[in-house]
Amino acid sequence: MASYTAPLRDMRFLLNEFVDPERLRALPGCAEIGPDLVDPILDQAATLCSEVLFPINRSGDEEGCTLANGTVSTPAGFKEAWAQFRDGGWPSLACDPEYGGQGIPKSVGLLIEEMICSANMSFGMYPGLSHGAYSALLKHGTDELRATYLEKLVSGEWMGTMCLTEPQCGTDLGLIRTRAIPAEDGSFRITGNKIFISAGEHDLSENILHLVLAKLPDAPPGTRGISLFLVPKFLPTPDGRPGARNGVTCTGLEHKMGIKASATCALAFEDAQGWLVGRPHKGLSAMFTMMNEARLSVGVQGLGLAEVSYQNAVAYARERLQGRALNGSANTDKPADPILVHPDVRRMLLTMRAEIEGCRALAMWVSLEQDIATLHPDAATREAADDLVQLMTPIIKAYLTDVGWEATAMGMQVLGGHGYIRDWGMEQFVRDARIAQIYEGTNGIQALDLVGRKMGAHTGRYLRRFFHPVLAYIEAKSENEPLGEFILPLSKAFGRLQQATAELARRGFSDPFEAGAGASDYLKLFGLTALAYVWTRMAEIALQKPDDDFYRAKLATARFFMARILPRSTGHAAAVMAGGATLRAMEDAMF
Amino acid sequence: MNKIAVIGAGVMGAGIAAHVANAGIPVVLLDIVPGGAAKAVERMIRADPAPFMHRIFARRVTTGDLGTELALVADCDWIIEAIVEKPEAKRALYEQLQAVRKPGSILSSNTSTIPLAALTDDAPWAADFLITHFFNPPRYMRLLELVTGPATRADAVASVTQVADHALGKTVIPCKDRPGFIANRIGGQWIQSAINNAMDLGLTIEEADAVMGSPLGIPRTGVFGLLDLVGIDLMPHIAASMKASLPADDAYVAAMRDQPLIVRLIGEGRIGRKGGKGGFYTRTKGADGASEKFAIDLGTGKDRPTERAVLESLAAGKRDIVALVSHPDRGGRYARAVLLDTLGYAAALVPEVADDIAAVDAAMRLGYNWRWGPFELIDRIGPARFAAMLREAGHPVPPLLDTVGEGRFYRETDGVAEVMQLDGRHAPIVRPDGVLLLADIKRRGKPMEKTAGASLWDIGDGVACLEFHTKMNAIDPDVLATVGKAIALGKKGAFKALVIHNEAENFSVGAHLGLALFAANIAAWGEIESMIEQGQKAFAALRAAPFPVVGAPSGMALGGGCEVLLHCDAIEAHAETYIGLVEVGVGVIPGWGGCAAMLRRWTEAKGAPRGPMPPVAKAFEMISTATVAKSAHEARDWMLLRPADGITMNRDRLLAAAKARALAMVEGYAPPEPKPLRLPGPSGRAALMMAVDGAVALGRATPHDVTVCGHLATALTGGPRADITEDVTDDQVRKLEREAFMALLRTDPTLARVEHMLDTGRALRN
Repeated sequence: MASYTAPLRDMRFLLNEFVDPERLRALPGCAEIGPDLVDPILDQAATLCSEVLFPINRSGDEEGCTLANGTVSTPAGFKEAWAQFRDGGWPSLACDPEYGGQGIPKSVGLLIEEMICSANMSFGMYPGLSHGAYSALLKHGTDELRATYLEKLVSGEWMGTMCLTEPQCGTDLGLIRTRAIPAEDGSFRITGNKIFISAGEHDLSENILHLVLAKLPDAPPGTRGISLFLVPKFLPTPDGRPGARNGVTCTGLEHKMGIKASATCALAFEDAQGWLVGRPHKGLSAMFTMMNEARLSVGVQGLGLAEVSYQNAVAYARERLQGRALNGSANTDKPADPILVHPDVRRMLLTMRAEIEGCRALAMWVSLEQDIATLHPDAATREAADDLVQLMTPIIKAYLTDVGWEATAMGMQVLGGHGYIRDWGMEQFVRDARIAQIYEGTNGIQALDLVGRKMGAHTGRYLRRFFHPVLAYIEAKSENEPLGEFILPLSKAFGRLQQATAELARRGFSDPFEAGAGASDYLKLFGLTALAYVWTRMAEIALQKPDDDFYRAKLATARFFMARILPRSTGHAAAVMAGGATLRAMEDAMF
Repeated sequence: MNKIAVIGAGVMGAGIAAHVANAGIPVVLLDIVPGGAAKAVERMIRADPAPFMHRIFARRVTTGDLGTELALVADCDWIIEAIVEKPEAKRALYEQLQAVRKPGSILSSNTSTIPLAALTDDAPWAADFLITHFFNPPRYMRLLELVTGPATRADAVASVTQVADHALGKTVIPCKDRPGFIANRIGGQWIQSAINNAMDLGLTIEEADAVMGSPLGIPRTGVFGLLDLVGIDLMPHIAASMKASLPADDAYVAAMRDQPLIVRLIGEGRIGRKGGKGGFYTRTKGADGASEKFAIDLGTGKDRPTERAVLESLAAGKRDIVALVSHPDRGGRYARAVLLDTLGYAAALVPEVADDIAAVDAAMRLGYNWRWGPFELIDRIGPARFAAMLREAGHPVPPLLDTVGEGRFYRETDGVAEVMQLDGRHAPIVRPDGVLLLADIKRRGKPMEKTAGASLWDIGDGVACLEFHTKMNAIDPDVLATVGKAIALGKKGAFKALVIHNEAENFSVGAHLGLALFAANIAAWGEIESMIEQGQKAFAALRAAPFPVVGAPSGMALGGGCEVLLHCDAIEAHAETYIGLVEVGVGVIPGWGGCAAMLRRWTEAKGAPRGPMPPVAKAFEMISTATVAKSAHEARDWMLLRPADGITMNRDRLLAAAKARALAMVEGYAPPEPKPLRLPGPSGRAALMMAVDGAVALGRATPHDVTVCGHLATALTGGPRADITEDVTDDQVRKLEREAFMALLRTDPTLARVEHMLDTGRALRN
């Protein structure tokens, strides 16, 4: 049977050594953030994930959610798990203390999110969506809306959703049909159909707050005419309890490949009462302010699933005895050697590990910058940090979820036929990981976001926040001989990325098709270069502590990354430089 | 003409007098208010935009009082009357003038509304009289409408035309003696239609201005913004005079109606920008000091925050005008309604106001700054389609549209531009004698050389013209490569002289900043440095080329655009050329030889103070403050133009003048042999930095200004090892320029300046 142990050692390494903890502590309200405060939180989260959430992961997948009479039931154990999660104060962890939150920074919160996704991604969907609704209300809600709803969301008493997708409109939100008609009391009446609504209906909380995109009667066409509304399942009574049922009903549950314990609902809004969140017609920009946060979280879903798959693949590879080592066996007393001795098994495990630890470090770096972008008192510092977050968000979302899919598939491969059958639990990780490449903006859309929006913003200012510090680091360490084996491949990848960036910008400027044609490979190239950078920095730390196994493993993994994974950047760079000609050449009818 | 008089020192009269002075002609300015003329000149010296091309030109104006000093006009060859728009007053003045003006002198009125007939009849001045209608402001607007009477002497017309064209730089458009002549007749009707239709179709003023602006080639102010600019109170005046002089069934007059909103605004003194109380748009400072912009709601008449116009027709209209006028939304209906009115009206006015279709278009282009005149607009829609649209809307179809039928008003035959005549035949568009337009040359053939950034054209007599054609004529690697190719062709004998010129609004706004910033943002320092070197080499090669090179700029020639000119053997500049090395505004210093070239100019200047410091100080003063000369004449003060360089008043004559200058240099041409410079080194740098410290103390320089000035001072003084006893080559200065440029580009404040300039078009003071 599968198991999960939170990678606390690596997480502490990142928090305390990889990033400069003083940068976090210098932020307002973060002075106390240090091992004394954070370690117990991580420990408790790890316990909760291993002991409460992971045990219902497999059963939740088998049982799934059920819809009867408009009511959705979550699988056995989910209600109890949620009660424990809520009572433990976990929903309030990264929330504003003014509304009952604990004010833990995002960079710490994200580590816990990873644990939750490793343990039970379906379960993680529920608090994840609630947190999105919380952020939207916090940033854009009126004082009245915030006073009425925020504490309920923070405490986990009530939960939230994000209702964007409709049958005719997914990626292109300009096509939305849901309408909002102003009512005399200042509220609005919402009518329309939404699909693919995660946590849209369930039995975990007494009320559900839907954040719904809809169009006002005088809305301009396209995405400039979308507004955001809060529509509660039950209208709150003056004393803050669920009152009358609002006009929103669950009309169906999607049958999905994975995350089966997450209720993915079709919702019908019929003359439902709602309240405007943010300014009229500015709903999409209100959504965009939360998008970075949500996309980082989705990236971490991929990371979490890769981690749990890796742990179980390693455990299997140690125990499973098959064949003899190619260069002589050390286990002659046993009928065969553990498969861990085989080079290709080692290749798979090291690939998973190098990607996972690199991605975790990258996410840590960017989420710390996000904390700085949110909390730092100096506007210029906030801007610089936000630039980096803007730039790296699509890379993290797409790269990490691709890693989630590839690593879970690799973990399954290590188990051979046993990975493919359900008993070992490895195939569930593969299925659960797949959605993360699709939702919250497909990975193709992330690549377009990177080259279309982020690359050209302020004539490349976002890029500066990556290119300048990385080049400065390369230049500063050019004399550091022991680090040379890392600096050299890093600087080569960096040069390829510079060249590809300049070329893509040049072509894309005159022809957007060209930018789109190179986008996905460019994102991969960027992600690999960013990983080479964080791996080099981790190796630099590890080189200082040659006697500790943790650092020796770090160094070995870093070397593997540089030798066996980073070379992929050459291929992606070549694909970018090849341009879009071959994508155009095939006529539509020939497909 | 040796001397000209202007009578009436109002905005127009004073502005005309200033412009006559700009042309180098002594001018007498008289006003009925005692001392009024002198005050007007004083006011104009301080005004921005400046009516004078150089403040010293004010000395060419002799001011006087109309009541007592009318005799000042006695030796004037041309007397321009610009007094109050009352026929009696004008005629009374002319009577008085008869006694003092010299025989054979010409008398013209700047009236915009009174028919010539009403000012002459059988008056004794009829033979000397014509109407010369200038546009406001007279220095900048290139249109001059000319109306002659049956009695007007042909030689008077020829003489005025000659002076207006060559000396004043105007495009002279002969008009018939009809109310409003051409531009204001059509323009006034357009404004009226644009307002009425905006109200009728329920557009916001932002929407109306967005539609009635760039998509139609009309300035971005659209119609409501234009009224704010020129003064809302002007509207009723024009309408009243048109109503008084045009028949009641004239389409313009017939559609006139009261606009209570406009009456109210004028009553409240909200007449636009000149009144200080706002107009259709109002700007106020909010509580946080930020500026807030409000727009009037045409329905309620109340102010509300401005809202960006979002219409599908606008998006469609970006691509083509037909998509705009056929779009069903209110923006499309608006464009259609106004164009049917205005273009239909204009088409019906030929031959009433002029016989020449091209002249009508030119009048609207030059008098209202439209990109296309009415007939050019009809051609863009398609005359047959336009006629069908008129019919469908129940409008009368002007006979001219029947004449053009399925054809177009303009066409090209064997590389010659032709325009339709009244009888339906097409005839070549005739340029005035001596006018050479690159557009005509380009129509006739293929370039000798071409890249995405620039082209080389054979302009005849062995002269080639290098034309930039990037966006804003920014200089990028393509442009630099073309410079190199042109030089190579010249060395092979493909031409004997080169002119650098283009007909875009601006000669060049400088280096392609976006490219440089993007490269800097991805830390591609090597690429940037090689682009700097490429530019330095290309420009140095221009100077060293074995053939003469003449720069012929018009509009802005900034930064790298200025540096090109500094490497030419001579400059023939349009008077309206704005030259400057503005690099410090974006936190760098001139890197394409601009520093070296300025040092050389001041070192070699005749009569300049001797010694190594004055050239350095002069160059530093100009470059460190990003000074831009506000005219070609001002550019002489800064040695951006040298005494031997020429200035052409009429933009259409610039290329011919530059070509003539280049040809005159061919015989015996040898490239200049630069003598080494002597630069003061660190002691000179210290002296310059003392001045910078002074500016800091006065709060006039920011911390980054000090950094930039420090690098500039190092480059201009020859670097840390320079000494007045040793020679410094241009190459050494260029190396210093390059080092300073690269060092500055690696600083965050410089990147912030470049970014701010690209994002907002304004300099960041950090």
